[in-house]
Amino acid sequence: MFKKILIANRGEIALRIIRACRELEVATVAIHSTADSNALHVRFADEAVCIGPPPSKESYLNVPAILSAAEITRADAIHPGYGFLSENAEFAEVCEKCKIRFIGPRPEILRLMGNKVRARQAMREAGLPLLPGSEGVVREPKEAEELARKIGFPVILKAAAGGGGRGMKIVRGPGAISGAFSTAAAEAVASFGNGELYIERYIERPRHVEIQIMADEHGRVIHVGERECSVQRRHQKLIEESPSPAVSAALREQMGRLSVAAMERIRYNNLGTIEYLLEEGGKFYFMEMNTRLQVEHAVTELVSGIDLVREQIRLAWGDPLTRTQQDVDLRGVAIECRINAEDPVTFAPSPGKITAYSAPGGLGVRVDSAAYEDYSVLPHYDSLLAKLIVSAEDRPTAIRRMQRSLSEYVIQGIRTNIAFHRAALADEGFLGGAYDTRFVERLLASETGTRRLRRAIEETP
Amino acid sequence: MASKRKPTQEQSSARSAALPSSSQDTSLVDLEVLRQIVELLETSDVTQLSWRRGDERLMIRRGQPPATIVQTVPGVASPSLNDAPFVERRMLDRQESGAAAAAAPRPAPEKPGHLVTSPFVGTFYRTPAPDQPPFVEAGATVRKGQVLCIIEAMKLMNEIEAEVAGKIAEILVENGQPVEFGQALFRIEPA
Repeated sequence: MFKKILIANRGEIALRIIRACRELEVATVAIHSTADSNALHVRFADEAVCIGPPPSKESYLNVPAILSAAEITRADAIHPGYGFLSENAEFAEVCEKCKIRFIGPRPEILRLMGNKVRARQAMREAGLPLLPGSEGVVREPKEAEELARKIGFPVILKAAAGGGGRGMKIVRGPGAISGAFSTAAAEAVASFGNGELYIERYIERPRHVEIQIMADEHGRVIHVGERECSVQRRHQKLIEESPSPAVSAALREQMGRLSVAAMERIRYNNLGTIEYLLEEGGKFYFMEMNTRLQVEHAVTELVSGIDLVREQIRLAWGDPLTRTQQDVDLRGVAIECRINAEDPVTFAPSPGKITAYSAPGGLGVRVDSAAYEDYSVLPHYDSLLAKLIVSAEDRPTAIRRMQRSLSEYVIQGIRTNIAFHRAALADEGFLGGAYDTRFVERLLASETGTRRLRRAIEETP
Repeated sequence: MASKRKPTQEQSSARSAALPSSSQDTSLVDLEVLRQIVELLETSDVTQLSWRRGDERLMIRRGQPPATIVQTVPGVASPSLNDAPFVERRMLDRQESGAAAAAAPRPAPEKPGHLVTSPFVGTFYRTPAPDQPPFVEAGATVRKGQVLCIIEAMKLMNEIEAEVAGKIAEILVENGQPVEFGQALFRIEPA
C-alpha cells in the first residue's frame, strides 16, 4: 500500500480522505493556503505544508507548489479530491513523471472525458445512448440551424470544454439560433479558453441520474447503482438521493449494464460517475462523465456499505476489485442535503465566522463537514459547508429523518441554506418522488414553496 | 510544518489537585507556594497555568510563547479546538523547537528586524553548491539584492535575495531543510 498520501484539496473532502487513509494506516500530508492554517484538514493530517497565499490559483491550483510539497514530504501518491486539479490531465501526467501516483483515472481518460465532444463520440462508439445531436463540433450558426431543424426544436448549444452548466444556451426556434450561437461561443471562450460548441436535442423536464463506477487496473468494472441529483439550481446540485424514485430495478440493471460495458471498452480505471439525462418513460441519454470522486459519493456509501474512498485508494495502488457485480447489495434509502454558506432565498454566498455550531446526530445520520465553532467561512473558496446525509429503510423514513436532522443543525453567525432544504423536503413533488431538474425553479416561484421557505427561515435556529 | 506545533497544554483548576497541600489555606500570591508551583511545572510539559480562586487569579507562562497559528489569522482563533483530540505530528525530522520557531505564517517576532520569508515550498540551501561556502553567515552585512540562499523547488534552484540592507541577525533554517510558503528564513537588522 502507499506509504504517504498528499491530499491536494481542502474542506470536508480533504477530511474525508484523511479519514480513509487513517483507517488504511497510510500517513497523510495536508496542503493549505495561508488562509486555511486553522482548517481541520491541516489539524488532522499527519503533516501539513503551507503552499501559498489564499487565492486558489496560487495555492490549491499551484501545481509546482503541490509537487514540491509532495517531494519534501516524500509522499508517494496524491489524492486530488473533487474540483481543483481532480480532472486535470496535465497535472496527472506531471505526477506520474515525478513518480507520484495520481489517485484517479489515467491522464488519457481525463483528457478524453474533459472534452465533451470527444467524450460523446467515444461513448457513442462504446454503446451508450446519446441525445440526437451533432456528431462533433458545430463550426458555424448555419450548420447549427440545419442540424437543429433535423433534430427538432428546442435544442441546446453546449461548450465542448464545458461542464457545471456554464456555456449552455437553449434555443427554441430557428430565429434565435445565430444569436445564441455567438453568445455561447463567446462565453465558452471566456470560461474555458475554447469556443467549440456542439448541439443536442433539449429535454424540457429531464431528471439527472448518475451511475457510480468502480474499475480496477486490470480491466474489471462494476457499478454501485445510481444517484438521483435532479434537485439543483443553476446546475449546482443541492439534494441527492439513492435509489432514484424514477429508476426501477429493470432500468437500474439496464443503465448499469450499459455503463459497465462502455467502461470496459475504454478500459476505464479507478472511480468515476456517468451522468445521464432521464426522460419520462425511462429513456436515458449519456450526458457527461466525471472522472473523480463525487461530492455526493456518501449517498452511495450508505446504501451499498462500500467505503468508496478506501476502495479508490486501493484501486489506485493496483489492488483488484474485491467484489463482483453480484456482491453489490444495495439496501434502504440515503439522502444528502448540501449545506452551503449562502442565503436561503437569494443563494448569495455568506462568508463569515461561525459563532455557534452544533451538528445533528443519532441513528442513520452522517455529517461530513470541516466546520466548527469559531471557524471562518472564507470568501476565497466554494460555499459548501457540510454534507448532511441520512439513511433509513425506506424513503418516507429517510425524509423524516432528514427533516429531524435539519431541525437540529445549529449554525450561527452566517447564513446557510438549511431553511431551503426544509422547504424543499416538505414539497409534495419531492415527497412523491415526482420531480425533475426544474424542481427548485418551480419551488421558488410557487406560493406554497415561498411560504414554507419563510416559515423554515423563522424556525431555523 | 507551520502546524507542527505541539498543542498548548493549558491547565486550569483541574490541575490544582496536584498542588502542594500546604497551599490549602494560603493566598495564591504567597511566594513560597508560587515557588513550589513553578518547581512542579518545571517537571512537566505544562507551559501555561491559570488558576482562579475567588477573586484571586494566577497565571504562569513558561518558556517561549507557543507558536500557535491559531492566533495568526485575525478572527479565526479557535478555543473550542484546543480541546479536540489531537494527534501529535512531526514534520520530517525537524526539531520541534526549530519547527515552532520557524513556523511559517506566524506573527512578527518580538525580536526587531526584517524577516526574509520563503516565497514557495522547497528545500533551503545556504551554499551555491555542496562544496562551496555559504552565501552569508550570521553577523554578516548584506546589501539589498544580495543573494542569501537557494530554495530548490521542482529541481530548479531559486536564489533568494535580501529585500533590505543590513546585518544578518539570525539564520532561522538549517541547510538542506524543507521549507514551506511564508516560512521565515533570515532575520535582518536593517542598516
